[in-house]
Amino acid sequence: MSNKIMQWVDRRFPLTSFVKHDLSEYPTPRNLSYWWNFGSLAGIVLVLQVLTGIFLAMHYKADVAQSFNSIQHIMRDVNYGWLLRYMHSTGASAFFLVIFIHMARTLYYGSYRAPRELLWWTGQGLLLLLMGTAFMGYLLPWGQMSFWGATVITNLFRATPFIGDQVVVWLRGDYTVGDETLTRFFALHYLLPFVIIGAVMVHLIALHMVKSSNPSGIDLADKDNIPFHPYFTIKDLYGLGVFLMVYFGFALFFPNLLIEPANNIPANPMQTPNHIVPEWYFLPFYAILRSVPNMVGGVVAMGLSVMLFAFMPFLDRSKIPGGALYRPIYRLQFYLFIIDMMILGYIGYVPPTDQTIVIGQIASVVYFGIFFILPFTSKIEEKWLRNRGLPAQVEALIASEELQIAQKKSGGK
Amino acid sequence: MAHDEALGDVGRRDFLFKVTTVVGGVGVAAATVPFVTSMNPSADLLAKATTEVDLAGMDPGHMRTVAWQGKPVFVLRRTEEQIKLAVASKGGLDPVADQQRVKQAEWLVVIGVCTHMGCVPNLEGEGWTCHCHGSQYDYSGRVVRGPAGKNLEVPPYHFSAADKLVIGEA
Amino acid sequence: MKKQLLALALCCVASLAGANEGVKLEKIQVDPSNPAVKRGVEAFMESCHGCHSLKYIKYQDLVGLGFDKAKVKEWQGDWTIDSPVMGMMPDDAAMASFGTIPPELSLMAKARDGGNNYMYSYLMGYYTGADGVTGNHVFPASKMPDPLGISSATEPAQRAEIAAKARDIVSFLNWASDPHEQERFRLGYYVMGYLLVLTSLLYVMKNRIWARLK
Repeated sequence: MSNKIMQWVDRRFPLTSFVKHDLSEYPTPRNLSYWWNFGSLAGIVLVLQVLTGIFLAMHYKADVAQSFNSIQHIMRDVNYGWLLRYMHSTGASAFFLVIFIHMARTLYYGSYRAPRELLWWTGQGLLLLLMGTAFMGYLLPWGQMSFWGATVITNLFRATPFIGDQVVVWLRGDYTVGDETLTRFFALHYLLPFVIIGAVMVHLIALHMVKSSNPSGIDLADKDNIPFHPYFTIKDLYGLGVFLMVYFGFALFFPNLLIEPANNIPANPMQTPNHIVPEWYFLPFYAILRSVPNMVGGVVAMGLSVMLFAFMPFLDRSKIPGGALYRPIYRLQFYLFIIDMMILGYIGYVPPTDQTIVIGQIASVVYFGIFFILPFTSKIEEKWLRNRGLPAQVEALIASEELQIAQKKSGGK
Repeated sequence: MAHDEALGDVGRRDFLFKVTTVVGGVGVAAATVPFVTSMNPSADLLAKATTEVDLAGMDPGHMRTVAWQGKPVFVLRRTEEQIKLAVASKGGLDPVADQQRVKQAEWLVVIGVCTHMGCVPNLEGEGWTCHCHGSQYDYSGRVVRGPAGKNLEVPPYHFSAADKLVIGEA
Repeated sequence: MKKQLLALALCCVASLAGANEGVKLEKIQVDPSNPAVKRGVEAFMESCHGCHSLKYIKYQDLVGLGFDKAKVKEWQGDWTIDSPVMGMMPDDAAMASFGTIPPELSLMAKARDGGNNYMYSYLMGYYTGADGVTGNHVFPASKMPDPLGISSATEPAQRAEIAAKARDIVSFLNWASDPHEQERFRLGYYVMGYLLVLTSLLYVMKNRIWARLK
C-alpha cells in the first residue's frame, strides 16, 4: 500500500529520487574522520535553538517594562520553562563551539580550496548570520549586560563615514538602546534563524555539487566512496549522542556558568557594570576591537578579523592539497592561530591593564600576520616540499591540476 | 550492493537495531513532553484559578459579586422564601431541579454572565433580570424568560470551611 | 591535540566566570533540602525582611514550601497572598537612613560572581574596626549594617550559631534564585544515564555496520 502511495507521489514530485541521490546513496569518502561530524551537529543545534526559541517566544514579552519579568516568569512559573530557557542559552554557546570546530576542520584540511570556494563563502555568510542572531538574542533578557553590550556594539556603527551618528540612531530606533531597539531585535531574532535555514540549504546544495573533501587531501577514487546511509547516518547519530552528553551536561548541571552574573540584574541605563564583557564566542573579536586605540581603526580591524576567513582560497597559494597534512609550516601556522585565538579570548575577557593591552596588541598583530604572510609562506613552503619530495599521489594530483590549467589556457587562445 | 547487506545483516532483523530504535524512540517521545506541557497554564495562572470568598457577615438575601478567572460570580445567601421558590419548580426554558445546582440550599453560586449575549444581570424581580434584552432568571439562576436559552452557569466550587467558599475547585 | 586545547580554553573561561576580583571568598556548601530552606525563610524574615524584598518570590511560594498559611499571613501583613515578598522599609526611608535602596534578594545568588560563596562570605565578613566602626571585608563600600551580629560575636559557640544561620539564609536565597534547581539536577541524572545507554548502543551499532566494509 505504501509502495503505491510512493509511486503516486514520485510521479508528481522527485521525493524518492531526491532521497536516494542526496541522502541514502549519496557518495561520501570512506575515510572521513569524526572531525566531519560537526556539520550535521550544527544542523541539529539549529533545530534545537529554533524549537526551544519558538516555545520560549510563547511566553516572552519584548517590552522594556516586562521582558526581564517575563524571563523570570518562564524560569519559575511556566511548566518546564526553566528547561527551555537553559537549553536555549546553552544552545547558543553549543552552536558557536560546533561552528568553530567545523571551521577549524575546514582550515586544517584545506577544504576551502578550489572547487569548494562557494561552499566556504556560504559558510562565511552563515557565520555572519549566526553572529547577528546571537547578538540580537542577547539583548532580549534585558539584563545589565544585555543593555550595555548592545549599547557598546551599536555605538561602533558611529564609525560609518559621514552618516555614522544617523546610522546608530537608525539601528536603535531611538537615541539610546530602549524599547524600540528591544522590539525590533526580537522581531529580527525570530526571523534570522529561518534565513539561516535557507542559507544552510544553499550551503548543502554547494556541498553536493563538489562533494566532501577528506582527511587525505586527495580526491578518492569512486570505489572509495560509500553511501551516506547507513555508514554516516549511524556515525552522525553516534556523534550526536556524544555531543548531547556534553550539551546536557552544561544545560542541566552548569547552565549558569555561561550566563554573566550581571545579566541577572535588570538593565539600568543609569549605571554601567564594572566589567562589560560579551559572550565567550565574541571575545577574540572584541579583544581585537579594543587593541586598536582609534575607534574607526578598531571597528575596521574587528570587521576584517571576521571577514578575512573568506579570503583563504586566495591567500593560500600552495598547490599542495590536503591543508596541514603534508605542509609542516602551514600546520604550525594553524596551531599558532588556534593558540592566538585563545589568548585573544582571554584578553577580551579580563579588564584591560597595561600588560593585557600590550599582549592583546601583539596577539592581534599575530592574528592578521598569519593571514598576510600566508601568500608568501605557502609559495616558499611548496617549493621546499616539492624539492624534498612529496608522496606520489600528491605529486600526481598537482601534476594533473597543472595540466588542466595549461589545457584551459591553450584551449582558450 | 554490499552496503545494503551491511544494514540488512546487522540491521532490520537484528536485536541490537530494534533495541537502539526503541531506546531512541523513547527519548524522542520523552523530549516532546517539556515542549507540549510548557503550553499549559503556568503555575501562577493556576494559583489564580481559584478565588476564595469569605462568607462571614452575609445576611440572608444578601448577594456578593466576586471576580473569578476574570468573570463575575454571584454568591447569594438565599432566604427561606427564595429557597422555597427555587425548589418549587424545575425552572423554565432549561429545566433542572434546584438541588442539582447547589451544594448547600442556603448558598447559590452562579456565574453572573447572561447566557444570551454576555451582559451582567441585576438582582431584581424573582431572581435576576438582564437589562440588555430582557432575559430573566429565577432564584436558582435558571432561565425563565428569553431570549437567553440556558441557565446561568454553575462554576465548580466547594466550602473549605463553614464560612469560606473556594470558587474554581469542586 | 585540538580537543585538549579547546577543553583547556573552556576551563579557563569557566573558572574566570567564577573568579572574584581580589577578595578570597569562603566556600560554602549550601543545603538544598526543604528543612534548611525553611529555616532560611525564618532567618530571612527575622534578619533581612526588615529592609530587603524578594521581587520574584510570592507569599504563596512560601506556602508551597510547606509553611502554614497562618504563619505566612504573619509575614504577609496587608499584602495579598499572590504579591511578592516586600521588604518592610519604604524606599524613601531607606534612602534617608542609608543613602541607597536595599537591593531585592531573590536573584542575588546569581547576580554576583561567586554566588552563594559571595553571600555567605559577605554575611560573615562584618568586623569591628579599631575605631569601633563596623565594616565588611567582602564589600567595603556597603552601607548595610551587620544583620547577624558576627562583627560583635567573640565566643566560638556564638560564631558557630551565626555561621549556621548564615548558611540557612544562603540556602534559602539559593533556592529563591532557582526554585527548580533540584528538579533540574534530577532530570540531569536521568538524561545523562539515558544518553550513556543510547550512545553506547549507537557505538556498538556503528562498529557493527562499519565492520562490513572490506
